[in-house]
Amino acid sequence: MDRKSIEKRLNDQKDLLSNLVKKAKTNGIDQVEIYSSYGYSEDVSLEKNDLNNCTATEENMFGIRVLHEGNQGFIISNHIPSLYQSIEEAYSLAKSQSTPDLDLVLPEPESIQNHFNQYDDSLDSMGIEDLVASAKEALGWRNDLYSKVNIDSGDFSLSKGYKLIVSSKGVMAHELGAELSASVMGMGVDGDLVGSFDYDSASGFDKTQFQTLWKKAFMNFGDKCMGALYAKPISGFQGKVLLPPDAVYSFFLGLFIGSLNGTSLRKGKSKMAGKLGEKVASPLLSIWDDPTNDRFMGSTGFDREGLPTSKKSVLTEGVLETYFYNTYEAKKAGFTKSNGCATGGAQSLPGCGPKQLQIAPGTSAKDEFFKLPGKTLFVNRISGTKDGASGDFSGVIKGGYLLENGEKIPVREVQIVGNAFEALGQIEAISKEGELLGESSFVPYMLLDGFTITGVTEE
Amino acid sequence: MRNLLKECLAEESGFVELRYHHKESRSFFAERGRVESTALRKRTGVGVRVLESGTWGFASTSEISKSSIQNAIQVAKKAARLSSALRKDKIPNLPKANFAIGDFIGKGIEDFRNRTVEEKLKLVLDIQNAAAKQSAKLQSVGCGYSEIYEEKAIVTTDGADSFFSMVRPEFRVSAVAKEDGKMESGSHSIGVTGGWDCLFRSLSPTEISDEACKTAVDLLSSSLPDGGLSTVILSPSIVGLLVHEAIGHTVEADFVLSGSVAQGKIGHRVGSDLVTLCDSGYSEYYEGAGGSIPVDDEGVIPTNTVIIKNGILSSYLHNRETAERFGVAPTGSARAWEYGDVPLIRMRNTFLMPGDSSLEEMIANTKDGYYLDGAKNGQADATGEFMFAVQKAYRIKNGKITDLLKGVTVSGLAFDVLQNVDMVSKEFKWDLGSGHCGKGQPAKVDAGGPYVRTKVLLGGK
Repeated sequence: MDRKSIEKRLNDQKDLLSNLVKKAKTNGIDQVEIYSSYGYSEDVSLEKNDLNNCTATEENMFGIRVLHEGNQGFIISNHIPSLYQSIEEAYSLAKSQSTPDLDLVLPEPESIQNHFNQYDDSLDSMGIEDLVASAKEALGWRNDLYSKVNIDSGDFSLSKGYKLIVSSKGVMAHELGAELSASVMGMGVDGDLVGSFDYDSASGFDKTQFQTLWKKAFMNFGDKCMGALYAKPISGFQGKVLLPPDAVYSFFLGLFIGSLNGTSLRKGKSKMAGKLGEKVASPLLSIWDDPTNDRFMGSTGFDREGLPTSKKSVLTEGVLETYFYNTYEAKKAGFTKSNGCATGGAQSLPGCGPKQLQIAPGTSAKDEFFKLPGKTLFVNRISGTKDGASGDFSGVIKGGYLLENGEKIPVREVQIVGNAFEALGQIEAISKEGELLGESSFVPYMLLDGFTITGVTEE
Repeated sequence: MRNLLKECLAEESGFVELRYHHKESRSFFAERGRVESTALRKRTGVGVRVLESGTWGFASTSEISKSSIQNAIQVAKKAARLSSALRKDKIPNLPKANFAIGDFIGKGIEDFRNRTVEEKLKLVLDIQNAAAKQSAKLQSVGCGYSEIYEEKAIVTTDGADSFFSMVRPEFRVSAVAKEDGKMESGSHSIGVTGGWDCLFRSLSPTEISDEACKTAVDLLSSSLPDGGLSTVILSPSIVGLLVHEAIGHTVEADFVLSGSVAQGKIGHRVGSDLVTLCDSGYSEYYEGAGGSIPVDDEGVIPTNTVIIKNGILSSYLHNRETAERFGVAPTGSARAWEYGDVPLIRMRNTFLMPGDSSLEEMIANTKDGYYLDGAKNGQADATGEFMFAVQKAYRIKNGKITDLLKGVTVSGLAFDVLQNVDMVSKEFKWDLGSGHCGKGQPAKVDAGGPYVRTKVLLGGK
């Protein structure tokens, strides 16, 4: 599958979907939206320090949304010959409902300013043989440098495809994409001693970018697994935690960002309701959403409803500046149109959220965080639970360290309990350095104070 | 469908496995007085797996025709040949298996087909409307009903030849309560393999809703428990999470081969005498367990696998490849979520066998501890260290349940926790049939058991 054949498929499908929408309108179905997601991928998987499987998959999923007098029906299908029947089924689902809301409408089309070309033609000369070669190289790194690290699973993927949205209101947008990606998961094993799982991943637009990032990610994975191998229990304490970029993004900030979702706000489930313009976090923290930067993986010119995306400030020095809306939630909040923050794909109804969060770097050198006096818990990863409404989170620290008097002691059986909204005010310092997570979101290290850390040993 | 698949295999000589899979998922959700979403998801295709030159190759197609399936077989073969040179540890021949032959039609399918969309919409709307009126503290109540209907046909060149179908409905209510700027949430959900009657056999929709709303409101006046190693009585839903997360994942033979903590422990004591743990494709004690399967995704009839017998580790969970490596019979544990997924070793219904005590006796015999109820989520590690999150923790003092506390994360080392089991109840319940287990791809599972007393690390203040 190469660019030419994907483009041909896309062009044929634009015609097909436009005709289906026209046919639906002729038959009295006025508001139809079809979101198409086509993907072709070749994959090589690893298991137990060995190659496991080679696969080739191709699929086109369609998300069909029909609105009828304020009611909505949604069908997801991968069967092209019966797409018109699916439109009728979605219409029937919408008609079967008795709780209309006239704010539920498809958006009017808007001009899209940013057109992305994230399909590097050089990937067309690659195939499963290159993925096998990458897998062989990674197994070599494991054998030569990390013989005590067991690769439980891994995956190398070359994927290509497009997304396309067509609606009866005149929305028509598409983007092609292609990427190389890899991930690895495993743990350190030394005799009877087994360390915590860890993982890492990388992706790139082309072979050179991918190879550089993947090697770095694999070495990072190996170091983390080895670091967790000789972990020991510690006693509990009250104090500081140091979060690397992954932990900042996946656990602590995720709850806060979720509370800015238009749906949570409307339903009274968000503690950030009514706080626009207010200081809700440490003045050290500034965040923006930028899906328009073509250097980032996943940047896009349009959202799940086919409306243009834009760069927007979320938090400036701790002051809340925006919420995230799709068309429906924007109308419920009193706006005439959305702010281009509809999320999701063919297999989901439009949600609300950011696309590519960026966190402003701070002024501290991250290495200084590792030399602090007293005890600091370095939280590599939290295996735990979080509650969106209350902001409470708790979990077991995985691959973490106790930093004490310049020592770095790997720990196990340690739990942390906190609240994400309170934690926004507990930020003591943010590092200058950070990482581009998923090659799309810049996230620095953060030092926070005032946490309860539970251990199993006595002081 | 079996005939079409067999036709596609007619000229094949090596090992080829064809898996047709059609899946329809319906979901209905109401919140704040209206139906928020109705969705129907349909996905159909054939997954093709070949074993050639000691290596697997896989391809899939969404086009159900002889030419398309045969083309996918060639793609899978090419993929296998390309990778063969790199694979060190070649896959031996697959062992003979107890293949399912024939058609296996699940219970409850007619029931779900005969109920209209309007009936399902009315259910979620009525329950949601009634629940929202229960307390002025309730900010929002959401009610959802969903069902997955699926049919599969599995045919292999070495003898598997079956068609099966099943339906898995779920019902869930989630509530958020607010008072003085504090917010808490509660949820309750159920899920089964079977029809509507099976779904609501133990609890009515109203009772499920009451439970979720009460939890959210009650938690407004709760605080965190004291953190530390504690004696706990676990409800069946929590026991389900414990045995699934803490033990089940570590005994999946692919994890064992990667070096999980269960490696080399067959025949060793890993729990107290009171612990007998099984993973089964059937639904012991009462029908409808959410992870039941008539046939696994390699075409094998699933077994009831005794993983731990009276505290001694006795079996891992196997697919055909690992069964050959360990020299045992496949346990029927190979499962794939979609036609485009390769089957992985997955749990089905995981349960601890009941004991002799009653819950009443267990509480009365606990001087200082906690009763944990309401499963949320959980994860396990290769080390045997696990975590699971609970909704509610009740303090037990001098044999009596006292204050409600916020449920937090509970953790421990799997085999230590099993060694510390000192009381197991007579009562038994499947209680983890809603939601999914994740391991690269989702899987419907269930888990449960009796009430169990043991020691775990409780996160807290």
